Amino acid sequence: VRGGPGLPCAPLRPPAPRRLTAVGRRLRSLYFTLSVPRPPQDTVAFRLNESHCVLLSLFFFFCPVVEVTEGNTTTIEGRIIEDAETPNPPNPSGQCPICRWNLKHKYDYVDVLLLSQFIRSDGGMLPRRITGLCFEEHRKIAVCVQMAHRAGLLPNHRPPLPEGHIPKKPKLNRYLTRWSIRSAKPIWRRGPKWCKKTMPVGHPLLKDNVKYTHKPLYLNH
Amino acid sequence: MASYTKAAQQWATFARAWYLLDAKMQPPGKIAAATVIRLEGRHKPIYHALSDCGDHVVIINTRHIAFSGNKWEQKVYSSHTGYPGGFKQVTATQLHLKDPTAIVKLTVYRMLPKNLQRRTMMQRLHLFPEDVIPEDIQKNLLQEIPQPRAVPKRLDEYTPEEIAAFPKVWTPPKDFRRK
Repeated sequence: VRGGPGLPCAPLRPPAPRRLTAVGRRLRSLYFTLSVPRPPQDTVAFRLNESHCVLLSLFFFFCPVVEVTEGNTTTIEGRIIEDAETPNPPNPSGQCPICRWNLKHKYDYVDVLLLSQFIRSDGGMLPRRITGLCFEEHRKIAVCVQMAHRAGLLPNHRPPLPEGHIPKKPKLNRYLTRWSIRSAKPIWRRGPKWCKKTMPVGHPLLKDNVKYTHKPLYLNH
Repeated sequence: MASYTKAAQQWATFARAWYLLDAKMQPPGKIAAATVIRLEGRHKPIYHALSDCGDHVVIINTRHIAFSGNKWEQKVYSSHTGYPGGFKQVTATQLHLKDPTAIVKLTVYRMLPKNLQRRTMMQRLHLFPEDVIPEDIQKNLLQEIPQPRAVPKRLDEYTPEEIAAFPKVWTPPKDFRRK
């Protein structure tokens, strides 16, 4: 059986074909009528202008629009920035990025440089079919990203707030938070030692991580 | 031992020292464990329970302690005033907002041995919510106790060179649009 602690990932299945529902078909037709810009009517010589750059940035992964003024001519161009994987991973035969770079049980909520490669700019996770992660690692990374957000380690990956919104709640420092802040309720009666209501810390998905101390990992405090 | 006078050696052994501990982003339990050792005097080879050899500990930034897990919401501090209907239960968040030094104080009090010397040891504990310390205490400080938890770096605290040196782990497909 593949995909256990200390074993390489299970082989990735090919992605299932995407089928569109009725709602999806309506939304798609609406998107195409609204967002495709009309071609400019008075161009004789073709030159890359702003609407082309916008279209380019829709279809290529990272295409910032750059404007350069040289004397009389102003050139507006969309530069395509290649964002590929660093060459020569230590284990090229791995299925998912974590196996290829030998990081299987070696990352935690603290490794923000790794986690930030799998999140959007507003903090959400990227889909598994795009990043290429296997199912267990995707879940582990999602859990680590959640814990990093709650610990305040990703301050620039916040969802855009409406204007003039002042957060009223006090910001308390926390780390290894398993549940969301709004969902956790106070434990009014903790009970005797033999049936204590524990306060969970960390996440059980990360219990197979490599430990550099001989102390056991306590997930229930 | 060879170059000190007997009087200087005696003074250095039995003097009461003042230690500083920064509680910023630290869990109060680990702070209290390090403090209790110094307050009892167990860090000294001349320790004896009856010989009152404990030291002073000054804890700063108690307002910025960090609880692991969801303890800010789940941990409940209970007390009873002694009068009927006087049972009060307060979550850690509410207690911290009311008094930023109360959580560390209670944690240290409950970790000390439950004997008559506990009160004297609590008198030698000095708690400050921010890093503003009175001048006379500042002059007494001898040494800083190392922080028990390694504080992780935020993403904006990494230099651009470190971010560039970290390898990119996956290639986005050609038609992927990053927001």
